[in-house]
This record gives sequence, structure tokens and C-alpha cells, in this order.
Amino acid sequence: MKKPKILILRAAGTNCELETANAFAAVGGDPELVHINEIKAGKKRLMDYGVLAIPGGFSYGDDVGAGKVLANQIRTTLTDLRQFVRLGRPVIGICNGFQVLVKAGILPHSNSCDQTASFTFNDSGKFEARWTHLRLNTQSSCLFFKGLPEMIELPVAHGEGKLVLKSPRQLEELKKNKSIALQYVSEDGKLLGYPNNPNGSMFNIAGLTNPEGNVLGLMPHPERFVAIQQHPNWTRQTYRKAAVGLEMFRNAVLHAR
Amino acid sequence: MSTAVDETLTILGKSPKDLRALGEARHLSLNDAEWAAIQAHFKGLKREPSLAELETIAQTWSEHCKHKTFTSPIKYTEGKKTRAIKNLFQETIVAATAAVKKPWCLSVFEDNAGVVAFGKKWALAFKAETHNHPSALEPYGGAETGVGGVVRDVLGCGLGAKPVLNTDVFCFGTPDYKGALPEGSHHPSRTLRGVVAGVRDYGNRMGIPTAGGGIWFDDDYRLNPLVFVGTVGILPQWAVGKKVSPGDLIVAVGGRTGRDGLHGATFSSSNLGADAPASAVQIGHAINEKRVLDALLRARERKLYSSVTDCGAGGFSSAIGELGADCGARVRLEDAKLKASDLESWEIWLSESQERMVLAVPPKSLKALEAVFAAEGCETSVLGEFTKNGRLLVTHHDNAVVDLDMKFLHKGLPRVERTATWTGPATSKPAGGTEKKLSAALREAIGNVNVCSREWVIRQYDHEVQGGTVIKPLQGVRHDGPGDACVIWPHAATGDMDDFTGFTVAHGLNPDYGRIDPYWMALACVDEALRNLTCVGADPSRAALLDNFCWASPEDPKQLGALIRAAEGCRDAAKGFSAPFISGKDSLYNQSKDEKGKELPIPGTLLISAIAPVPDVRKAVTMDFKGPGNALYLIGRTNDELGGSLYHKILGRSGGEPPKVQPATALDGFKSLHAAINRGMVLSAHDLSDGGLAVAAAEMGFTGEFGCLLDLDEMPRDPRIFSNETLLFSESPSRILVEVAPENESAFLRHFGKGAKAAPVRRVGQTTANPILKVVGLDGSSIMEEPLRELKDAWQKTLPAALG
Amino acid sequence: MTVRVQPSNTHLVEIRLRPEHADAEGAAALTLLRAQGLTSLIETRVSRLYEIKGSLSANQVLQATKDLLCDAVTQEHRVVTPSPAPMNGANFWRVEVWLKPTVTDPVGETVRDAIADMGLPKPESVRCALVYRLVGRANKAALEKAVSKTLANPLIHRAVVSEAHP
Repeated sequence: MKKPKILILRAAGTNCELETANAFAAVGGDPELVHINEIKAGKKRLMDYGVLAIPGGFSYGDDVGAGKVLANQIRTTLTDLRQFVRLGRPVIGICNGFQVLVKAGILPHSNSCDQTASFTFNDSGKFEARWTHLRLNTQSSCLFFKGLPEMIELPVAHGEGKLVLKSPRQLEELKKNKSIALQYVSEDGKLLGYPNNPNGSMFNIAGLTNPEGNVLGLMPHPERFVAIQQHPNWTRQTYRKAAVGLEMFRNAVLHAR
Repeated sequence: MSTAVDETLTILGKSPKDLRALGEARHLSLNDAEWAAIQAHFKGLKREPSLAELETIAQTWSEHCKHKTFTSPIKYTEGKKTRAIKNLFQETIVAATAAVKKPWCLSVFEDNAGVVAFGKKWALAFKAETHNHPSALEPYGGAETGVGGVVRDVLGCGLGAKPVLNTDVFCFGTPDYKGALPEGSHHPSRTLRGVVAGVRDYGNRMGIPTAGGGIWFDDDYRLNPLVFVGTVGILPQWAVGKKVSPGDLIVAVGGRTGRDGLHGATFSSSNLGADAPASAVQIGHAINEKRVLDALLRARERKLYSSVTDCGAGGFSSAIGELGADCGARVRLEDAKLKASDLESWEIWLSESQERMVLAVPPKSLKALEAVFAAEGCETSVLGEFTKNGRLLVTHHDNAVVDLDMKFLHKGLPRVERTATWTGPATSKPAGGTEKKLSAALREAIGNVNVCSREWVIRQYDHEVQGGTVIKPLQGVRHDGPGDACVIWPHAATGDMDDFTGFTVAHGLNPDYGRIDPYWMALACVDEALRNLTCVGADPSRAALLDNFCWASPEDPKQLGALIRAAEGCRDAAKGFSAPFISGKDSLYNQSKDEKGKELPIPGTLLISAIAPVPDVRKAVTMDFKGPGNALYLIGRTNDELGGSLYHKILGRSGGEPPKVQPATALDGFKSLHAAINRGMVLSAHDLSDGGLAVAAAEMGFTGEFGCLLDLDEMPRDPRIFSNETLLFSESPSRILVEVAPENESAFLRHFGKGAKAAPVRRVGQTTANPILKVVGLDGSSIMEEPLRELKDAWQKTLPAALG
Repeated sequence: MTVRVQPSNTHLVEIRLRPEHADAEGAAALTLLRAQGLTSLIETRVSRLYEIKGSLSANQVLQATKDLLCDAVTQEHRVVTPSPAPMNGANFWRVEVWLKPTVTDPVGETVRDAIADMGLPKPESVRCALVYRLVGRANKAALEKAVSKTLANPLIHRAVVSEAHP
């Protein structure tokens, strides 16, 4: 079967592109690292690819605000992104990529260019790397979550991950549209505060999807859990879990086929 | 060149005193003999040197670049015997590496980092160095540029290695230090915050996991903190070699050149004082370095350059001087890309602006190379070409700036003999202090600032970027216990997720042992690094070592004598463990005037960093107890070695024997354990270090949330020990506590030898369901019953309480 | 947004976190300052101040501010009036921490390139300062000393402490 082409977008400061490419390759994708400058120069076209991934990192140092400069470049350079989304092709933004998608106005809705959500510094005031328990929204139509269990674990690593919405009314709308893809929870599934919610995000939101379910943005890193040995407790005898991150990439590749 | 049109200085006919004054005024750090050699050289040329020439010579000859102390003759008196050392570095570190002859060492002591083979196709480049003086002045910027510098070393090793691990070790004053400080020096807690933030921001932005390291607190570091930064890179074996050819273009890539960072190399070779030049301190620009990384590795794959090195201390002068040392170089400074247009010639030449590297590029590859860098938004400039006339010729808009013979520059440094003395170890019978109840001593030990949890620091580092940190620095049920080392599975760099070979890096450092005898400190450091990496599953017979010596002034014969002891300890350790040194550094003159104007030297400090492959990361081991009812085995013999120990510190006691390593026996134990781990016989393993058996068992327990029962009478030990305290807290080296499932006990033991030289191993207890540390003493009665939850609380609260 | 127009087309733009958002950076700075003995300080909020030099017009700077420097959801740009006015017995202080001109300013470099990327004239230089807006009683000398021990290092920073309007 033909391998779907995956565009992994790079810019100065992107730093999770190789492991993201490995994850896609492991599930039958054909990943290609593409610098935004190559798209700007017309050497590469988004529409030639089946999946778009914006990986983690510190694009342009996160100077001015996490993901902001790259988000601006996407607005001006990746002008066919909205069409790409409308065609139902999978788009995933991880960590910095999530911040970029939100600031470029692609999430939570891509129908207007307006930015309706944002990120600010973690309540702890520090960059933090830790594994989190997450609950998937089983009601959402997010294509990346097909066949995944409701409760999963993934690591986060960020300093500016507190999701903020423009208005409280928006939260109700997100709930109604089943856009809240992923929430930070305690081990037994409760919505608790720090450190279960590592950054103080509103309503413990860890990831958003568009109403159509083909765009996913999330702060946790699925590409860091594509083999059992990446879990912090894999050496414990009681540990029996699958590497759920890999399944998200598999779903995207299967969808793109 | 008859006269340099650039500013010249008059040195011919000047007295040594005048020259010293000139040197001080220009921060040149040249001694009388060096001045005399320079004077003689220019007298022969019948001209005065230009300022840029003097600066170039001073940089090239600085302690920082030439390691004069380690390579100059020393008259060394130990006790009543005096002997001549011609070259300490050659006679200790290099000699040991030559003696153990490892075919998997691909490049040692030559390049910017040491290189060892990693499988058939790949190689690992490893380098650690210090950035102490800048970090003392500006902790954040100093640490940032320190990380940036060592990362560039690895990028500039061979034809460029991709960094896959950062590992950082710090020595600070205690964070709650209450005493006075001299004007202008930062409180240790500010230094700590700033350094951690600098390492965090630079490493995280570059996407390199910071997953190894440690912190040692001692108030004698309060004026001279030590910041060791280390990086491991991975490169294909074909890219290990590099060679400049005459005709290659000199191409500078990365950041622009500005006035920042002048005099870094000469500055780091002098005592830290209030008159430190402000320009020596900089802020890093991690994204610029990331651009260089991304572009460089793409250009490497297309073989677009023939050699590369980083711009570190001395800037262009040392980078180009080094690359062209064997052939010659012709440089035009007007082609450099500048931050400000008003830079003087010598400033462009010597500037230590960050994030720059220099490549040797065959002219036919230039266009392609420029395109690769431009695509990443990274600037390049052609500064000139390598020649074959053996001269370093630098011009700026037709004005000659430097015209020096490479041979004089690189070989002309006069060697000055120093004297050193060592009067024997400061051992004595243990004395003083106040006895403490066992349980109180254990609580104090576990909450001690040198033992307690480093989670406050580690969580701020992105220790899992690149997705290869399969054994994490924080371990156990709640991901918060103290791992012995991390294990990296570098699949992001190799692109091969079916190859499960990994590697690990571990460290050894303990200046308290060095206060008694630096020789035994060196052996203990090597032992600690090797036993840590063995604990997680690395192969101890494939370990390579880095040395980093941080010392006070070598002009003090006693300090130099102690340094020699440490270097000889390194030699004997490397030979004894059959582990070669592959790279190293030294940082001297770490002393400053305290608030009363009295010189405060740091304790002589040696950091040993070890790297070794983990044959199959799927067999790696963590240190947390895995279940109840498992057997606990102790490898290694316990002796009465409480000199310099944490227990003595807690009691306020002095004297006692420092731990004395027997490398042959130690290595036998490590190898046996490694074989058992490879067969999947080991559930958990943890090394015994500060606080001995008591602290190690408590850590394994509270991290795995199971208890244990230990019987001290079962410990392999010196039969002359009759004290439970000694058995619990002695810091005898080479010991590891291991958890083994009952069904595997006999198979586990089969891996251990029985001969006189074999490491002893014995069942000393078992794990229990109840999370309590229970200990039965020598007389058979219960001497300790500590709830592990409480010990964990004590272990966790120390740093947050001091830092918030 | 301030557009304090300075000689040779220098624009100063201040970006603040909207008051409804908790300021974790400010809280951390307050803890450090209070540990220096300034216990009557009760609040600190941090904003960013950009000094943009070059041929940009006020309108172009406004565009760069709205589309680049200021987050549409969490931040706002404000006019700063420099006249001090004590309110309710408490002082308001403003501490600007700039990198000295000889020190590289990575944020400034990013902003400079990003402005050019938007199709606006590339500024000659951009420098970025952190501004700490403090509420609480303090005297200037004590505050300056505390700042030099916590928020700014005199070796690389220029810290400007002034009384300010909230």
C-alpha cells in the first residue's frame, strides 16, 4: 500500500521533529521534514501531503510568546492550511505546535482567522517536565483517538502551557462542540489541581480538537510514548500498558491512506 | 609586515616590570618568561608587535587553552622524596589511556571531545568542561554560554556530532548560607537559581535532554561556584576524522561578531576579582546555535566541508589558529559579519561572541554550503583561506593586523618549572563530635543538602526531549526517586527504532575525601561513576572517562602537590579499572578574597564523568524496590571508612580513613553484576555512596514503596568492625545493593566469582510489603524501624524549603 | 501601548498581561524582593517593554504591536504616564531591567527579524526590557539595592527604578 506523505513542519527552534518523524515512520507513514522557509520559497506545497504535523520545540525561542512568531508565519505562508483542514486531512500540533495552531487561529475553530484562546505561563512559574494522567473525550470525533482507552498517560514539558480562553461563554461552546479533546486528571480520573494539572489550564484542558475532529492540538507529547521503554515505570513488574502515543500516529496514517 | 598599521605596542627594551604592567592593563595574563620569549621573538623580527598579535599570543598561551600547569615541568616533593615531573598530563592521564589500549577509542585528547565507538556504524563524542568564572559573575548568562560552548565542542568534534544528552554538575555554597559575603559576589541561592535557569533555557531551547548530573554544596564554593557542563553527541564513524587542506576556504557560520566576550580565555586563567572585565560576560542565543546545529549536520551529510571547529575562548584567533596550525591561514577581517560597525581589528579577531563556528570548505562546495545555511536562516561569511606557508596572516582593509609564524604561536610557549609538595594524608583517629541516635542520624543524612531530592532542579529540564530517555533521572512509583544514571536510546539521532543499543553517563565527585587525600578521592570518583553506570545496566568494561580538575592557584606548592596526587589517582584508577580517559579539562585559580580580604580557595575538586554503552536498553534497571519478598544482596566489602563521610559531618566528627578503592576487586563485582543484569536477574540496583547502606536502602524503599529488613551481621565486612553505626554509614566504595527475585537467587549468584580477588556478595535481607526500613544489628536485636514515608518527606523538603 | 516617540524614531511599546490573569512571573519576583526585606511590597506584575529603533512610522509600530508583540487574548498594550502618584497610602514603583548595550539581546533580534517578516521596514535595532510594576511601600535606595540582588545583575543589566502611576 502507498505510504501517505507526512509534512513535519520545521522552523528555527523546532526540536521534536526527529522523534515525531520516527513515530510516523513506525506506523507506515512517509515523513518529510520541511522548513517553513522552503514553503515560503515555493519549493514545497502543503497540499502535496496527506498529514501535517507541527512538532514541539521553541520556535524562534518562544520570544514574544510561545509559538507566536511561527503562528504569524503560518498565517502569511501556509495560506492553504484552512483548505487542507476543510478537506479533512489530519493535522496535529504537539506542545509548541499546539500553541502555534491556537495562535494562528486554527484551533479551536478554523472557520475564522481570529485567535480565541491562548497560553500563558504555568501557575508554578517554572518550566516543568513530568508525566501526566489524561482523560480522552470519548464523545469527541477526534480521528487521532480511535480505539484508545479513555485514560492514558503522556509526558508534558513546557513553561507556557496554561490554556486561557477569551471568555467563559467560550468554555460552554467548547464543551458543546466536544472540542475538549484531552484533560489533565488524577490517577483515578478526577479533575484536580497541581501537580495533576501541571500548568493550571482552564478546566484542566490539555488538548483541543476542531468540531470535525481532524485537527488535534495537545500539550503532552505522544511521540515520547511510542515504545514501552519510554514510560517511567516500565521496569516495574506491575507495569502492563501499551504505548498509546504510537496509536495516535497510526490513526492519522490510516486516515490519510 | 614591517609595521602593523593596527595599533602597535612598544615592548622591545622594556623591563619585566613594565611588561607586567602592560599585561595587567590589557588583561593579557602573561608571566615574565612568556614576556621574555615574546620580546626575543620580535627582537629577531626587528619590529614591535601589534596589539592583535600580543592578544593572539596571550590567548593561545593562556592556561585555558594550553593547560600550562598540566604540561610544564614540576619539581615534586612527596614526604622526603623529590622527583621531577616533565609533563603531568602525559605521565598520568595520557599514559594510563595508552596502557589500557582500547581499540574502541576512536579519538582521544586531540579533538574538541573524546570519541568512542558505539556499535559498528556510530560513535559517541563526549566532552565536559567548566564555566566557573563567568557563572560566578553572572550565573544565568554564565551557565547558558557554558552549555552553548560545550555543545559547540561536540558539534565541532570530528565533522560534527549531533548532541543527544546534556549533563551538568554544580558545586555551590549552601543555599541557606547565612554568613557575610564580599561586595559584588552573589548569594549561593541566587547563583543556584541563575545557573539552573541558564542550563534549563539553553538546553531546553536546543532540544537536548538534560538528564544527568548532580549538585554538591559546600560553603567553600560560595565565592567560586563550579559549573561543569557536559554534552554527548552521536556521529557516524566515517565523520570522526577531519583534515584541513591548503586552499580550503575559511568560512565563519552562526552568530555575528560583536564586542561581547573579549578576554574570556585570559580572564578564566586569573583569580576572580572585582575588576573582572564586564565584556567577558555574555547572554546566550540558543536559537542561533540550534540554527547552526540544523544547518551543520545537513551540510555534513552532503560532505560540504573538510574540517570544523567551534569558536570558543579566543574567538576567531584560536579557531582559525587551531585549524590552520599545520598549514597556515590568510584572514580578511573586513569580510566578517559584525553586530556593530565600529569594532577595531583586534576586537573582531579576538571577540568571543557566542554561537559561531569555523569551517574549512573546498571552494567547489562553497555555493552548496551557503545554500544549506541560508535555508536555515543562518549567516555565513568567507574570511579567507588556508595556505601552506605556515604563517598566520590577518588583515583588515589592507592593514596588516597579525603576521605570525604558526610554529612560534603553537610551540613557542616557554615552560616554567613549578614546585609542588605533598606532606602525606591528613588521616587521624576519628575524634570530636556528638553521638546521635541512629534514627536521628538517618533522618539528618537523608535530608542533608548533599543527599536530598534534586526534583526542584530536574523537573525544570526537558529531560525527555528526543524521546530516548528510557531510564529517567527521577524513578519509581511516583517518578521522584533518585536514579543512579539515565539511559539514553538515541533513536531520534540514528533514525533506527529497531536498534535497542543505548548508552549512559554517570559522575563521581567528592571533595570531602580530597580534603584527606586527593589520591583516594580520585579513585573513589572513578569508582562512583563506574558503579552508577553499572547499576542501570551499562557495560563497565566498555566505560570511557573524562577528567575535570578544579583547583585553587597552582602557584601554591601545596595546592599543586594535591593536584598531582589527584592526577596520579586518576592514572591508577584508569589502569586498575581498565577504563581509558578520552578527554579532560582543568580550571585553576579558583580562589577569591572573602569579605575580610582573606583568600578563600575551593577544596580541590575532581569530577569524573564516565560513558558506557548499554547493550540492550530493554534490560536496563532502575533503583526502586519492585515487590515484597525479594532477596537483597550486597556486593562489596564494608570497611571502617568514615573519613570525609556524611555521617562524620552530621556528628561534627573529624579524622578517620577515607574510602580506599581496590580497583581489581571492584571491577570484578561490577562485571559480575552487569552479566546478571544482562540475563534479566536483577530487579533493582542502587549504589552505596553518601550515607552508606542506610541511605541507599531507604531510597530504594521509598522510591519503590516497599520496605525492607536488613541484617547487618550478614554484610561482607572487615571482621574488626563491631559498630552498627559504622556498618550502616561507612562509605566504603564499590558497593551496590541489589534486589533479586527468590526464584533467581542461585542463577544470580552464579555470575559472581569465588576467588580471593573476587568481589564479595551476600544476601543481607529482603524486601517487605510494609514500607518500613527495619534493621537488625550485630547482636541480633532490632536497632532501627523507620517509616519510609517520613524519610521520604525529610528527603524531599530540603531544597524546596531553601528555594521556594 | 506607549508610543513615547524619542529622537531618531525610537518607539517604546509596553505589553502587559491583562489584570484578570494571574502573573506567575510577578509572583516569583515578589517572593525574591520580599526575601530581601521589602516585606511591605504586596504585588508585582511583569510586563515587557520593547524599544524599537528605525524608520517605522507610529502606525507601523502599532501594527507590529497588535499582530506580533501583543497576544490577542491574554495581553494588552497601554499608555504609560510617567508622573508619580501615591494612592491609598501605598506607592507604586516601576523597575525597568534592560540588558546593557554591549550585551546581546536575543529577544530583540527575534523581534527585529519578525517585524521584517511581516513586510514592515526592518528596524535598526530592537531591545527588550522586563518591567516590574510593584505595589507597596518601599524607599528607592532599598528597592534599588534589592533589585540588584535579585532581578538585575549590574554587570550586564541597567535597572531603572522610578515611582510610577499604576
